[in-house]
Amino acid sequence: MIRPKYFFGETFSGLKRNFLMCFTAITTVAITLFIVGLFSIVVYDIQSVMSSIERQVELAVYLEDNISEELKEYIGNEIKSWDETGEVKYISKEKAMEKFKEQMEGSSILKEIQGNPLPASFEIRLTDSKKVDQVALRFLDRDGNYIKGVDEVVYGKSYVSKLFSITAVIGTITFLIIIVLVLSTIVLIFNTIRLSIHARRKEVEVMKLVGATNWFVRTPFLFEGFFEGFAGSVISVVALYFMSNFLIIKGERAIVDTMHIKELAVLGSSNAIIYIYAAILVAGGLIGILSSGFALKRYLKV
Amino acid sequence: MIEFKKVSKVYGDGTTALKDITLSVKKGEFLFLVGPSGSGKSTFIKLIIREIYATSGSILVAGRNICNLKTNRIPQLRRNIGCVFQDFKLLPNKTIFENVAFALEVIGKSGYVIKVQVPQVLQLVGLHNKMKSYPYQLSGGEQQRVSIARAFVNRPPVLLADEPTGNLDPVTSDGIMKLLSRISLVGTTVIMATHNRSVVNSMRRRVVELERGEIVRDQKRGVYGS
Repeated sequence: MIRPKYFFGETFSGLKRNFLMCFTAITTVAITLFIVGLFSIVVYDIQSVMSSIERQVELAVYLEDNISEELKEYIGNEIKSWDETGEVKYISKEKAMEKFKEQMEGSSILKEIQGNPLPASFEIRLTDSKKVDQVALRFLDRDGNYIKGVDEVVYGKSYVSKLFSITAVIGTITFLIIIVLVLSTIVLIFNTIRLSIHARRKEVEVMKLVGATNWFVRTPFLFEGFFEGFAGSVISVVALYFMSNFLIIKGERAIVDTMHIKELAVLGSSNAIIYIYAAILVAGGLIGILSSGFALKRYLKV
Repeated sequence: MIEFKKVSKVYGDGTTALKDITLSVKKGEFLFLVGPSGSGKSTFIKLIIREIYATSGSILVAGRNICNLKTNRIPQLRRNIGCVFQDFKLLPNKTIFENVAFALEVIGKSGYVIKVQVPQVLQLVGLHNKMKSYPYQLSGGEQQRVSIARAFVNRPPVLLADEPTGNLDPVTSDGIMKLLSRISLVGTTVIMATHNRSVVNSMRRRVVELERGEIVRDQKRGVYGS
């Protein structure tokens, strides 16, 4: 009873018959899934960049020059006792100067510096970067001035919170765009299959008349829908592959270079993109089969 | 072979197409269904192949009540009923051979069976020398013979014909009728709905006349008008 030759023959004659419509459906699936994939990659990427930035959020607590050893020790111990503290490093004035000289090597500014104007500091790495504000507040007294011995507390407050809100917005917009695009793809494949049924309505009529089973009538149309969905998703994956190789990874390098972030989770080195590709291929096939199944249900009534 | 028991059909728009029809057709019988347009002839035929449901009553085909047949059993029913129509319903992009073979293909018959049975049935209808022609290259009568071949290739016990001579001239119609009566002679039950007075009169077979959905006459060896 299983006749693959028949079904494939029928599928491809259906594809040939409404070539233009089929072409449109494939193109739409390709564009839709390309955009979906692109957004997924970008969102994933931003999120991994974000989490590596989060892991690197630091507080620098600059100490007054005339701070006493006891106070310095007290502040250091106090910081260590907090739950939010991951790692604390003490940078003495001398160490700070060394680092500064390293960074500014060859610059004329070094000759103009007399003595050591740089303060000693505690560099605090947090376990949860979202609590950075809370921790910073502990260095202030009731009037909003820094506590005794502390000159200034510095951390990347503004850009961290901005990044959090930007990713949230991008995520929401992406989600909405994806829904709209997926719906329009479904409508297009639905219409293609409907046209295909229309073009073959005589055959379908005869099939029903001589007692073809419902699945026999349906299968070529389901194949056709699957083919359209799958072909579209293959095209989009190929496009995404080139896109991510040439654009995104380059962009990431640029971000890495400008922001001096060393431990960045670079997309190219992650296999998450493989999962995204696989998901796109599965989604393409599923969209194709589901929308043609839906079209058949309404228009074939076998 | 076919039994109607108090069958009524009321369409969705409220028209009553058939009213309380009780009728029995024996195996191998040849039956003409006559009556003016709208008298319920086509409804009668559509009920037998379960294209439509009966509103009430029961229809037995080969002893089986087809009114409570599950949807997925309908193909099985239709494989036992051949259908011939006024407009032939041939596929224009397939050859004569392919048109007839199509009926076997879609019910899953093997290539070997197709190669044997299709030429056989085309021989029966006298078109074995036109197997490679396309429908448009054939005359109306020839096309109708192809559609009869397609309906009969699976050797169904029942053959339904809805106005098979409706588009044909008298001489050609004669040929078609000879073919149908030969088919009935081998034990096939043939039910033919028609307006064609001369065809009915020349055959002298059982005639059932419908009028406004009711049987007004049922004669053993009848003619068209009473």
